[in-house]
Amino acid sequence: MGDRLDELERRIDGLRAAVRRAMRARDGATARGLRAELRSAERAWDALVSGEQPPAKQEPPRMVTVREQVHQGLRLLGAAAQPRLVVAVSDAFFGGTLRSDRLTSLRRDEERSFRSSPFGRPYYLCAALTDRLSAARGLLTLSTWPLERRVVGPLSPRVDFLTCAIAVAGRRSDDERAVRLLIRMARNIPGATDGGLGPPDPERVIAAARAELRVHAERDTRDRAELARRAAAQLDDAARLFGAATLSTITKEKAK
Amino acid sequence: MTGLMREGDPVRRLEVLRGTTPPRPHDARAIAALAANPGCARRALMDGAGIDKDAAARHLGFPAPFGQSPFAITRGNAFEALVKADGCAELLRMLREVLGLPIAEVAYHDVENVGAHLRHAHTRALIDRAARDGQDAGTLYDHPLLSLGIAGHTAYLEPDVVAFQLGGRFHIVEIKSFAVIDGQADPSAVAGAARQAAVYVLALRAMLEELGHDPLMVSHDVVLVCPENFANRPVATLVDVRRQLAVLRRQLARMTTLDRLLDGLPDDLTFDLRPGEDGRPTRPVAELSDALRRTTARYAPDCLSTCDLCFFCRDEARQEGASDLLGRQVRDELGGVASVDEALGLADGTRDPAEGQEEIARLLRNAERLRRECLT
Amino acid sequence: MSLLTSLARLRALDEKIAQPVATVRHCHLAERPMVFIPLKLSGEAAAPLAAMLGTDRGDPRLLVVPQPRNRDLRFAWAAELAGVLLPYVEGFLGATETVERRNADPYERTVDAPQIIVPNQGGVAFARLLGRSTRFRRPDGPYPVPESVPLLGRWLTYFAERAAYPGSSLMLAATDELGRHWASGQSSLEDANLAALMSWITTGPNDEAEDPLVWPPAGPATDPGFDAEVLAPAIDAGSPERVAEALRTQLEPTWRLMWQAIDLLAGLPEGASVAQRWEQDRGSFSGMAAHIAEGAPPQARRDGAVAAAAKLARMERAQAAYDVQRAYDDPLVMAEYRLSGEAFAGEVIETVPDNVEGEGRSRKLRPLVVIKTDDPVRLAPGTSLGTPQRRAQGAALVSADDGLVTVKITKGMGRGRTAAPGAVPEIGERVCYTSLTDDFQGSPALPEAEATPWTHGGPPQEYTPVDEDAQEEWS
Repeated sequence: MGDRLDELERRIDGLRAAVRRAMRARDGATARGLRAELRSAERAWDALVSGEQPPAKQEPPRMVTVREQVHQGLRLLGAAAQPRLVVAVSDAFFGGTLRSDRLTSLRRDEERSFRSSPFGRPYYLCAALTDRLSAARGLLTLSTWPLERRVVGPLSPRVDFLTCAIAVAGRRSDDERAVRLLIRMARNIPGATDGGLGPPDPERVIAAARAELRVHAERDTRDRAELARRAAAQLDDAARLFGAATLSTITKEKAK
Repeated sequence: MTGLMREGDPVRRLEVLRGTTPPRPHDARAIAALAANPGCARRALMDGAGIDKDAAARHLGFPAPFGQSPFAITRGNAFEALVKADGCAELLRMLREVLGLPIAEVAYHDVENVGAHLRHAHTRALIDRAARDGQDAGTLYDHPLLSLGIAGHTAYLEPDVVAFQLGGRFHIVEIKSFAVIDGQADPSAVAGAARQAAVYVLALRAMLEELGHDPLMVSHDVVLVCPENFANRPVATLVDVRRQLAVLRRQLARMTTLDRLLDGLPDDLTFDLRPGEDGRPTRPVAELSDALRRTTARYAPDCLSTCDLCFFCRDEARQEGASDLLGRQVRDELGGVASVDEALGLADGTRDPAEGQEEIARLLRNAERLRRECLT
Repeated sequence: MSLLTSLARLRALDEKIAQPVATVRHCHLAERPMVFIPLKLSGEAAAPLAAMLGTDRGDPRLLVVPQPRNRDLRFAWAAELAGVLLPYVEGFLGATETVERRNADPYERTVDAPQIIVPNQGGVAFARLLGRSTRFRRPDGPYPVPESVPLLGRWLTYFAERAAYPGSSLMLAATDELGRHWASGQSSLEDANLAALMSWITTGPNDEAEDPLVWPPAGPATDPGFDAEVLAPAIDAGSPERVAEALRTQLEPTWRLMWQAIDLLAGLPEGASVAQRWEQDRGSFSGMAAHIAEGAPPQARRDGAVAAAAKLARMERAQAAYDVQRAYDDPLVMAEYRLSGEAFAGEVIETVPDNVEGEGRSRKLRPLVVIKTDDPVRLAPGTSLGTPQRRAQGAALVSADDGLVTVKITKGMGRGRTAAPGAVPEIGERVCYTSLTDDFQGSPALPEAEATPWTHGGPPQEYTPVDEDAQEEWS
């Protein structure tokens, strides 16, 4: 076995060097071919050294679908949120198994499903709408929310963050992940912590977040109402959930 | 090919230099690097013409010795995402703590929400509105797209964030993933970030000026955001980039007056790589190398970390036996003796000092005598 | 850099081989040095990736973090490192000697001390950061680490600090030491590449030394191409064996170079003052060990104003002493001062061994020596001089002109009416005199820490480690 391993190692080294030389020469095709050979040599080496086929990576059993987990997270938060926050919430409170990279195609899948049979599901994971009524980048919302909650004016990201922080603080938990999430959110809200190292007092976090919310509420509510009114008037069902196509917004802009 | 073109149209002349090779857009890092070795005519010409120096170096057989590790790239992206997460919650905290941003100032605009082709126009519109309306304007502009004219070309630049409402001025926010440990960061990394941020300051000032506003609404203090100690927690520091701005302005001015450098060059000189159908260069290497040698480089060992062409120029310096190879200290020590042979000749006494070289020749002869005495 | 070194670089460039700039070795070389080659994850301040280390060139230990983004694995790695480094360091604490001191209690000094050799300044910086990131950890509390980890952190911090101390040999950077003894035909920037510098010294310049495929970088940064093409896929495959093998390929060439570098340095005879400086190293090391044994807290994050000023003054004095000692130990280093006129050497052509000055009671023996030299002497009459040939002796310049220098011996020639035998050089002897002397001004008058003026932050609070230090994330 040792000889065979040595031989494989020599081959792997040779291939690695060749790959990198090809990369350097920007010869993508050759590099790809060599890399494939390299992978198979590495697999053979792995198999030989461990004496068996490498076991498939263990993943915890997935009882709840990704879709349902995101739904759970968003329901708890109650405001438009970025995938990473949804993942953190799911992780902290629902023992979630989400990974942010799995969420990238979610909105598109939901839109496809909606278009093929509108309102066929009790809820859709959908987009937040910008002031151009297009889908905001990297934000998730629920179709069951009122439009006002699903549009984002200039102050909305902050308002949504504070709303989410109140929701997280309101859901007490001693779970380490939950505490860490609360610490992370609290340190970005003025007056939410006493500067100490212990876990923040949820009541204090809520009070501080509410205090800052009061500063932004009036203007944000006004902005959102205006956006929601425009969305209701201008968009069809699908666009109201998933955002207007960018091209149509462009022509509208030009027409102005 | 007439003298007429030479006098009248440097832009056209630069196009000839580039030939059929597609221009390489400048990013802030590349523009900042221009200021690193301002005395190098070869670099000024190649950058002015928008030539892909990296491709040229590869084709010449002298690929640049630097690359970025995927780990570093991932780390950089993850840190930027953290700083900007949840409506830039971390950034707002830092701006409030460090710069006293009022609590009410949280308005966030993600410029990237419009299509890529509209980003620049959208940035302009938002900045114009902010400069005009003052109080009611937004606070954070994420993913803005600025532009800067470089020797007749437009370079598009993407600062991390532009912040407004810090005392009514715009601030460039630069997010970097190198750590600040116990209040100290790698000085060369900070210097690099400052040079890059200065490019953004300049571009934003240019934009305001075009829009008829006071360019000095853009602060020369930039907000540098880095992870603190070994954790991911971001910390913000103000960095004054006035000096970098001055160097950059001077260098850009030089680039717009490349005429002088162009004047000395033959009309038909070109650095064209002649890319084939597949984009790979087809120009004979010797020919390209000869063309490059018609321009004067100012090689210094510092180039090894800043210029794609460094190995080519180092090789040239070796062939010429230039004492530049040994670094600035040696060059200064030799006080104007530029070649290795000349210096050694003076030391051995086989060469007579030229006028003005008497003192250094005497020192070199003495040094040679002492080395011989001690080593035999 | 001096003109003499610049000339050596030019010569190296011309002859395509490095040239000596020292005739003796100026660093101590331990019998059993610990070679330590750390690698870190790109883009991180001090996230360890791997290290190859050991005291036996035939038996390197390879320590690897199979998944460098996992902080538990990083601390496990730090514990493994502690498992190798701490026994090595503590192995020197057993044998001690008692040192008597004037005006102070005697103390115990170890008869030998550890020596850690890293490839370059990057290695020293990594040791410092790794020390900083581990010395405040606690074995209990919210983010517990193995007990050995904070102790490792304190030692690494200590070694990295010593590496910045002029003339100390407790932690050496190979490229620095090589560069102190040989001048290559490349810039000092390029000398930081161990493979390139070694190739200049041994076989002559070789472009392959800069090719990461042939000679992987000596760390702590890895080759970006290796990261992309080899390391990242191995980590993603979740195969610790593959990660370890990949990193071994990056470390082994440097491991061999490191021992070759040690051999090169060992080939030079040791300078006369090296033992004295190593003795100071042993004293410092013993002090640090006692400090830890007494249960003192880890080194503070930052020095207070007075401590920082005192440290700076200490380092400046150490630098001055180191410069003088090297010149006295090594004619090639002394040559730099001869070139600048601060020293001269030549043949004794005349002596007046019984020359006296003054009358009656103040009559003093002041032997005169006349030296013929080719060196440009730029010293004023009356300047005090020392000489490497008779280190205890003091002299003063009487006159210098036209290649003839007269000095009078003022000290260290015996107390009799005539000079002690051998105290006055013989005619025909080659001698060297210099204005460099090893006696420095005493330490600057600095206030006690408690009296730190408000302009310098006021008296520092005594450093007590706080929970925050221990809980700082290490992500």
